Amino acid sequence: DALLPAPQNISILSTNMKHFLTWSPVIIHGETVRYSVEFQGEYEREYANESWIPICECSLITATVCNITEDVSATVAYKLRVRADVGARRSEWGTLKGFFNRITTSLTPPPMKVIADGYQLLVDLEDMGPAFQFYVLYWKKGQESRMQQKVVEEVRSMVHLDTMEAGPEYCVKAQTYVEVINRSSSFSQTQCVRAQGGTSMWLV
Amino acid sequence: GPCRVSMSMTEIRSGFTAIKANIQARDPIRTLSILSYPHSLHKVKSSDRCCIAHHLSNFYVDKVFKHCKTEDSYVNRKISSIANSFLSVKRTLAQCHEQNKCMCGQESTEKFKQILANYEGLDVTSAAIKSLGELDILLDWMEKST
Amino acid sequence: IVPFSFSFSGELYCSLPNPRNVHFESINMKNVLHWSAPEGTGDGVLYKVKYSVYGVGKWIRKPECRNINRTWCDLSIETSDYEEQYYASVKAFLDGMCSDWMETTRFNPLTDTKIGPPALSVSSTEKSISIILTAPEKWKGSPEGESMSLLQVYPGLQYNVSVLNKKTKKRWFFSISNNTLVVPWLEPGTAYCVSAQIYVTTPLLHSGFSEEHCIATLKDK
Repeated sequence: DALLPAPQNISILSTNMKHFLTWSPVIIHGETVRYSVEFQGEYEREYANESWIPICECSLITATVCNITEDVSATVAYKLRVRADVGARRSEWGTLKGFFNRITTSLTPPPMKVIADGYQLLVDLEDMGPAFQFYVLYWKKGQESRMQQKVVEEVRSMVHLDTMEAGPEYCVKAQTYVEVINRSSSFSQTQCVRAQGGTSMWLV
Repeated sequence: GPCRVSMSMTEIRSGFTAIKANIQARDPIRTLSILSYPHSLHKVKSSDRCCIAHHLSNFYVDKVFKHCKTEDSYVNRKISSIANSFLSVKRTLAQCHEQNKCMCGQESTEKFKQILANYEGLDVTSAAIKSLGELDILLDWMEKST
Repeated sequence: IVPFSFSFSGELYCSLPNPRNVHFESINMKNVLHWSAPEGTGDGVLYKVKYSVYGVGKWIRKPECRNINRTWCDLSIETSDYEEQYYASVKAFLDGMCSDWMETTRFNPLTDTKIGPPALSVSSTEKSISIILTAPEKWKGSPEGESMSLLQVYPGLQYNVSVLNKKTKKRWFFSISNNTLVVPWLEPGTAYCVSAQIYVTTPLLHSGFSEEHCIATLKDK
């Protein structure tokens, strides 16, 4: 039997602290090729004889992608490798070039919807996982210098930001912050709303 | 204080909670504690806390995790996650130590010696599993101190 | 029929089935040991309980839970130091036979207790509602005992407050660290329903949400 080729084009897709290992399929006509993934953290390299740890959810799988988020869960440099199996035949390990550190994950601006409920300024944010906080900035249109900030640690729909005065528009933008890698996303698009007050006496 | 390690602690805590029952069930010795004997970590003076934390992060990285391999792949992966997170904590506390923000007094040196003596009083695997099972004692104490 | 046997060392050979599911149930650090009766045993089973502080060498009997027929035992006093961790154990007796001691897992009051929701007091004016939140107290042995708020046990304790605008059906969330919240500029003559939850970030603990307190802002004069 010819030696099974090792998987190639091994790379990482990492967005918003979700990390995936991907590789090109090994093509063996008429055969089902299965793949297995292992990881090695800095601890394993420096303190545990360079041992590798299998990811059982990605053992003998047919897909060419593996979710490594749960395992790459420290801000250190990780090595990753994948090999192929066809029946009793097994390839060499294909190893990711260099290391992967989650500090390089790409952080996207958070989806956000700003709502006025009467004179209450609210923002609807999406839960992006336990690692994420949100910095929400809000200000009266035209008074950018008096911008206020709220840190949102636990995301619930309709987070209350402030109470608005009748008349001026209030603008809001938000970014995510991930403390474990000490990085922030860029800001979302600014959205502005105006209080929806009823015309009661005290507004005049 | 000057040495902030808070978020890594949250991740370490979450990793430990996932395997706490499994690891503590592997430790049959109720009558001995590595970290709490004879005195609880909570009795350590606040001025000595940073030094003890620094020593203990080294202790776990250098001595404990490597002897905790189990037959359970899920547990091993969580231990790896905790161990690699500890590297970040160890580095942060090492920087504090180098910048002299982490003074070691007589009491902390004595306390750490006692911990090592407790550890060496058992065979290495039992001592390592017991120490890993006591991680919440360390985390409770470190979180209370920050 | 459960076999009866007697070992020469004079100690009863414990062949009674064991108590099951021995565990602590803890709310605001009121720590109560619970278990289920041994399988296949009807009435008449008695129990005794002991506990130990992790790392300390001895088991301590709980006299108030000796020869009891109920399947719980309040160990709150014995486990009130939340800087320690504990084990507890139960043994069953029936017709001269006994079971083995059956132990809990290691119990850490600080991380294993459930936190009750905060108490709320809500008042309103024409244009605002004011909310005062009170964190539950840590369990104490007697009414005269010294009170300790869970705020002292968990310094990082915060509140999530939910305010439902009954007219627009929108629910707003506030996260606050102090215990008062005033929501101004509300519509007069409108009903709002408030409920709140406690959350602690380290260790990660959440209470349930309290019951809703509904109140209306006063009508326009």
